[in-house]
Amino acid sequence: MTGLDYLWQALTPFNLLLALAGVVAGTVIGSLPGLTATMAVAVLVPITFSMEPASALILMGAIYTGAIYGGAYSAILLNTPGTPSAIATTFDGYPMAKRGDGDLAITLACVSSVVGGLVGAAFLLGLAPPLAEVALAFGPVEYFWLAVFGLTLISALSDGNLLKGLIGACFGLLLACIGVAEISADIRFTFGSQVLLGGIETVSALIGLYCIPVMIDLVATPDRHLKVTTESKGFRLREALAVSWKSKFNLIRSSVIGTLVGILPGAGGSIAGLVAYSEARRSSKRSDSFGTGEPEGIQATESANNATVGGGFIPTLVLGIPGTPPDAVILGALLIQGVRTGPSLFTENGAIVYTFIYGLILATILMLPAGLIIGRYAYKSIITIPKALLVPTVAFMTMIGTYAIRNSISDVVIMIVLGVIGWFLNRFGFSPSPIVLGLILGRIAEQGFVQAWTIGAATEDLTGMFFGRPISLVIIAFTLVSLFYPLIRKRWSMKGGAVSAD
Amino acid sequence: MDILRKIGVTSVAVAMSLAVSGLVSGVPQAEAFPDKPVNYIIPFGPGGESDITARHQQSFFKDKFGQDLVIAYKPGGGGAVGWSQLNGMIGDGYTMMGINLPHIVVKPLQKDVGFKTEDIIGVYMFHYTPDAVVVNADSDIKSLQDLIDYAKANPGKLTMSGSGKGTANHLAQVRFDKMADIKTTYVAFKGTGKAVAALLGDQVKAEWGYTSVGAKHEGKVRLLAVAMEERHPKFPDVPTFKELGFDLVSGAYRGIAVPKSTPEEVRVKLSEMIGEINADPEFRKRMENDGMALLDVGYKDLNAFVAEQAKAYEAAAREAGVIK
Amino acid sequence: MQIESKSGKSDIAGTVTAVVFILLASLALWDTTTMTDSDSYVFPRAIAAAMIVFCVLLIAYNLVRGAADSRDADAGTSGPVSTPRRVGLVAAMLFSSLAMPWTGFLLSGVFAFGAIMLFAMYDPWTPRRRIVFPLAALAVVLGFYTLFSKVLLVPLPVGFWFR
Repeated sequence: MTGLDYLWQALTPFNLLLALAGVVAGTVIGSLPGLTATMAVAVLVPITFSMEPASALILMGAIYTGAIYGGAYSAILLNTPGTPSAIATTFDGYPMAKRGDGDLAITLACVSSVVGGLVGAAFLLGLAPPLAEVALAFGPVEYFWLAVFGLTLISALSDGNLLKGLIGACFGLLLACIGVAEISADIRFTFGSQVLLGGIETVSALIGLYCIPVMIDLVATPDRHLKVTTESKGFRLREALAVSWKSKFNLIRSSVIGTLVGILPGAGGSIAGLVAYSEARRSSKRSDSFGTGEPEGIQATESANNATVGGGFIPTLVLGIPGTPPDAVILGALLIQGVRTGPSLFTENGAIVYTFIYGLILATILMLPAGLIIGRYAYKSIITIPKALLVPTVAFMTMIGTYAIRNSISDVVIMIVLGVIGWFLNRFGFSPSPIVLGLILGRIAEQGFVQAWTIGAATEDLTGMFFGRPISLVIIAFTLVSLFYPLIRKRWSMKGGAVSAD
Repeated sequence: MDILRKIGVTSVAVAMSLAVSGLVSGVPQAEAFPDKPVNYIIPFGPGGESDITARHQQSFFKDKFGQDLVIAYKPGGGGAVGWSQLNGMIGDGYTMMGINLPHIVVKPLQKDVGFKTEDIIGVYMFHYTPDAVVVNADSDIKSLQDLIDYAKANPGKLTMSGSGKGTANHLAQVRFDKMADIKTTYVAFKGTGKAVAALLGDQVKAEWGYTSVGAKHEGKVRLLAVAMEERHPKFPDVPTFKELGFDLVSGAYRGIAVPKSTPEEVRVKLSEMIGEINADPEFRKRMENDGMALLDVGYKDLNAFVAEQAKAYEAAAREAGVIK
Repeated sequence: MQIESKSGKSDIAGTVTAVVFILLASLALWDTTTMTDSDSYVFPRAIAAAMIVFCVLLIAYNLVRGAADSRDADAGTSGPVSTPRRVGLVAAMLFSSLAMPWTGFLLSGVFAFGAIMLFAMYDPWTPRRRIVFPLAALAVVLGFYTLFSKVLLVPLPVGFWFR
């Protein structure tokens, strides 16, 4: 292994303490809806000024990794992704929690996150410089097709009515356009209102669309929030490990997807989770049970989003181009410390880089016990708190969390209004997930499309731009496969006369 | 360092005793300022260049004035969300906000964004990141003349990435195309980081970036020219546009503004404080190492400075079709 | 999997929503005419057009098929479903957020928490609960307030009333 001598430097008591404290703090912060990994890291920046660069990196990396995992709690227990990375965790996590398997879901998320984090860190350790080239090979048109690939999930998420799913996605895509356009400078769909000027903030929209409807239905009846099955079963770690071992290929594939997507600046954990989910669903024997509480869905998302941590550090450290938003903050902190990123960082400043990577691996391993204990506590409190306290606590959390994202009261109001709209739409058969998909992927799709079109038109080769690049063709192929695979498989199983009852 | 710290401690002690005496006599004393942490709002998200320069100031502020500079973010609308709320905030000197040119000029000209350029009370413009034309280190384009020749031979085919539209990069592209009588294609990306990635990945031929790009990606990119009055100390071999016959001095200017209700003497005091940080040799060194250029436009001269820049920006923005 | 109901109920809500969405998309299309840069309007126009097409298809489908997705949204719950409580929750959240510029975050938060607690209360108010619940409410609000404003340094609004 590379730079093994630095393992000992990572193992100083101070660094160990930082790694543990970072993971714990990150997990707690990430579990609060609205507090994202980016924010958790940004708060730390002044503290790291007085530290050694390697220690500062370990602390920030640990917080980051913990926050991505912590996002799974509220996704599973409240149907609200605590961070955007955990969107796809809600699809199966919340149904599992509803039927009384919340504890298992959380433990699975923990195990998957650790696996994903380790795979991502391993790539960072061994293959960072060559992999960084992937970030550069990905041009605007590839981002466009990646977003289109993500949008194919609509068919899986539209709850039986594809037309309604498509309409919902269009609604989300239009919502994404509100405010100042990110690359062209126009101000769109604000209709003169300053409230809409800042656009719809993604995380507050997630909170509104997913969490508020749950709250609205929760106050309407005296029923318990989650079904509680008999007595406590502990962590259910043995069960989770058995399930994980069975779907080890899913875990590894999702982790690799997560690492690769993490490398792409401008994609990030939410896309990684969605792509891995989509792939897991396509290749699973139990595709049909995805979205109804299928453990493989949680495993795919959670391993992929934690793998983006290691993956995102690859372009950050090698190229000085942040892979994910938290990486941008970390890169800024390094700049202030006077650390120059670039390929030379690995050769000349090996002490910093390798100490950090081993620290990150350590933090990821520490996440297993820490995550299990915090998760257990979170689960217990959610199922034991009386409804009259649970509902206002969650409602208050959504308000303060939404406010904190951009320090904006307007965002809180938008969040609540979107929640009410989402509740009505859901009753009319328009599920929230396609809307969210449109909202998240819309920006990437639009930017990629406009840039690719501009470059293609300038070089007078639009067809070549959109359909002539190898990586694009691969993504297009995957898109077609995941669109038509269910049909093909149906044909096969009909021919074979096989029955698939569930 | 020790001496500096001692001076810092004494000045805190002095400031605190002054604060106490100010309270006793009931007369607000400008010398007692600041006696609590100062909020510094960045109207963009964390990790951007506005954030990084603010972070640079943060540690020096604490050293010099004994109080924390607390950075908070209020992103949205390309900065407009923050600026439209600035004048509604408490004007006691403990709240200030970063401002950026050309943003505060161009945004209000597009649509009603809740503030006007002249509503913003700037106290100091402390630096700018000069525009620069950047190509890959292994590019065939070796000089600005090569770039012009290429663009003349292939009108419209020279693709140049840059950060956003209506931004310093974009307006510089529009102005330069006109000066050199060439036609290039500007491809807008979200933020400098992605614009650089597009250049490094050969998605575009060149980039309208900043000198900071050259500092961050040393060895991988080549600066062809910088839009400064004089050459940048970090890049002594890179000519200015002026040397090459183009009157282009521009970039992303950053400064600090306060709410309108802030008293005159506090505005002056803040202006002096930021000037003091700017004068610190260590601060200058750090900023220049990052490829920034320092600028000293204090409270008194700020309006004239912004007005002068605004003229050029407005013309270029109209030319670019960003405003009607 | 959702099972299509065979009750013959037509998807009126879906049809009405589709009409509303067509209006929204038309509004969006109209707004794109104020944009100056083709980079800004190409994408929203395409999406708004697509949305109108999908909505028309949905309406046509509903008219032809008569029945569609009309599951009972409150299925799986026991006991009566209280709409006033739902309205109360949303109203409390909206009111406290809109009042926040004047009341500040703390007061708004306490109000919202208290009101929602009343709406979410199904058990009888025993003397113990009368004491414990409000105390817990205060602890939660103050705890989060401190965490955000002091530890995470979020500038929570103070409110005009307290300036």
